[in-house]
Amino acid sequence: MNVLEINNLTKKFSDFIAVDNMSLTIKEGEIFGFLGSNGAGKSTTINMVAGLLRSNEGEIKILGKNIANHSKFAKRNIGIVPQDLAIYEDLTAFENVRFFAGLYGLRGAELKDRVEEALKFVGLVDKQKSLPKNFSGGMKRRLNIACAIAHKPKLIIMDEPTVGIDPQSRNYILNSVRQLNEMGCTVIYTSHYMEEVEEICSRIAIVDHGKIIAEGTKEQLKAIITDTKDIWVDVKSNENLEENVIKEINGVNTVQVEDNVVKINSQAEVSNLNKIIQYFINRNIEIRSLEEQAPNLETVFLTLTGRNLRD
Amino acid sequence: MKEVLWLISNSLRSIIKDKKRLFTYLFVPLIGILIGIAAYGNTGPTTMYAGVVNHDNGKIAKDTVKFISGINNVKVTNIDSSKVRDQIASGKLDCVIILDSGFSKSVMNGDPDHIEIVSIKGASITGFVKSYVNNYLSNVASLNKAAGGDQAAFQQMYDQYKASSFKLEGHSLKDTSKNNDITGQTIGFLIMIMLSSAGGLSEIIIREKENRTYLRLMSSPINSRIYVFSNVVVNMIIMFVQILITLTVMTKVFHISPGVSFWTMVGVLLIFALAGVGLSLVITSFASTTASAGAMQNLIMTPTCLLAGCFWPVEIMPKTMQKIAEFLPQRWLLDTITQLQKGHTLSSLSMNISILFAFAMAFFMIAIYKFSRGNNVRNFI
Ligand SMILES: Nc1ncnc2c1ncn2[C@@H]1O[C@H](COP(=O)(O)OP(=O)(O)OP(=O)(O)O)[C@@H](O)[C@H]1O
Ligand SMILES: [Mg+2]
Repeated sequence: MNVLEINNLTKKFSDFIAVDNMSLTIKEGEIFGFLGSNGAGKSTTINMVAGLLRSNEGEIKILGKNIANHSKFAKRNIGIVPQDLAIYEDLTAFENVRFFAGLYGLRGAELKDRVEEALKFVGLVDKQKSLPKNFSGGMKRRLNIACAIAHKPKLIIMDEPTVGIDPQSRNYILNSVRQLNEMGCTVIYTSHYMEEVEEICSRIAIVDHGKIIAEGTKEQLKAIITDTKDIWVDVKSNENLEENVIKEINGVNTVQVEDNVVKINSQAEVSNLNKIIQYFINRNIEIRSLEEQAPNLETVFLTLTGRNLRD
Repeated sequence: MKEVLWLISNSLRSIIKDKKRLFTYLFVPLIGILIGIAAYGNTGPTTMYAGVVNHDNGKIAKDTVKFISGINNVKVTNIDSSKVRDQIASGKLDCVIILDSGFSKSVMNGDPDHIEIVSIKGASITGFVKSYVNNYLSNVASLNKAAGGDQAAFQQMYDQYKASSFKLEGHSLKDTSKNNDITGQTIGFLIMIMLSSAGGLSEIIIREKENRTYLRLMSSPINSRIYVFSNVVVNMIIMFVQILITLTVMTKVFHISPGVSFWTMVGVLLIFALAGVGLSLVITSFASTTASAGAMQNLIMTPTCLLAGCFWPVEIMPKTMQKIAEFLPQRWLLDTITQLQKGHTLSSLSMNISILFAFAMAFFMIAIYKFSRGNNVRNFI
């Protein structure tokens, strides 16, 4: 069954088009990755799915029902984990989850059970009586998640839930996403961390300028770029390096320098390895190692959008 | 409905949990009664004794003294300047008005001077004498300005003014009893407190937006209408309790009769409360941060309360100010109460009540219009 179906969705802010005729289908049981650089239109799309923004054109269906006519039904089945914390600082962890879960009509013993379950799930049971202001950043994020899942939504939307937190909390959150998924939740996950998306997502869409420019499993996405190859040259010093000159070499698409590694993306069918090596020898730049990379999502993204995921 | 009850019960619970807020909501309104009692006295004679030292032989000085003696409940005696300290210290006089020579002339010149009011009981007691005298003098001074130095013209205008103003003051003060004054003062203060409680509403909503919990609420099966409605109900409950406490303490503890039946008073105040909530919703819809909401609130509420006569009889203010005050809901509430105290029935005041309602409705309309237009969720997600 389709948990989410988006057809020809468009959102304009005055005459700026933030989401451009987007169509997308997410099936039950998927962990769907939403990749895109800043301003690509991810949040705008999610806001429309969550019923916080009205679209200009197109339709959104949750579990087969159009949200325009079934907004309550849609909202009941969605749990949203906002990028910025949305919790009450003057309520305890328990009271926070309880309040939000109560909005979905849960009461009494059932409400209490669900709240406890959610807190247990994010590992905050022994902190349930504390106020969030005494929490670490990671704990607050976990509470932020608990508030979104206590009502057992079919679809959970997480927008960069791991930004700016310690590796331990991050692993915890990634594991809970998997666990939620195993329990039957469909998850939409946006992140700037390619490794995270690659690790947990079963399907990925790359968004740019409000459009989905590629979509599929990570293997399918990587297959898109069989026509290019990545060559990483580890040099002793990058002092005399001129990226522009390397770019001139026949077949080279992009050049990036990260510390002592020169990352060159080049057309696969052009044999230019000799010329590249020649460049380093001519400039007297010592090569410590050289390897051809298997394509990764980062290069897929870069090739498709011409931009890095993170600036 | 289930959601509305959930929101209301949670708001009330968190208010009850917050001891400081609860205290402000429930006990601060009572301060009004104390101020009222301090200003108008609760025991002993209601008459205020004023002494006059007149070193000026001018006509205006004489008229000023006559004017003061004309104020209800003020007894004036002429005394010697050497006795001022004694009489005040011993409590025989509440205040002494000293008119030095040159007083009449300074008023004629349009800049009243050479007048001093001495008291030890503090501004609250002499405040009214002061405001009456000031008003009187500034009217005389402006007459003189209008006459433009023409003595005869001034004399004519002055005589006319004297005749009319004395009559007017006498009339407006005739049926003002002490209890009504204390009631007025208490209600004036209650209005101020209710408005600031209503302002608390706008702060809660805006803080909710700042904290983005508002958008989490909106992504649940709750819409903005349900949310705003719940907040209005919570606010009306708070104000209802404030009204009940104030009126109960006033009548049962201090035995001050407001001159209006208890529940009539509650009803009239509740209608005003609705207008107060409406006003604060308007502020909410225009302000983007809690700080700007607070500033707008101070900018609107305090001056309008002053203008509308929450703290002194509106009659002592210049005519133009009184005209402006007619555009304020506070004025209509106070006027309704005054009319009720004079024995008018509620049904004969339907005009006043409708105007109060109209204020509330107008505020709600503006707020709803503004709310429905904003769809900025930029800070969320
Ligand atoms: N309320 C608004 N008014 C005007 N423009 C807006 C509004 N909200 C978003 N935009 C614009 O729409 C575009 C898409 O924004 P959106 O927040 O969806 O991007 P995003 O993909 O979530 O980016 P990020 O990774 O930075 O969160 C941006 O250019 C943004 O400036
Ligand atoms: Mg975003």
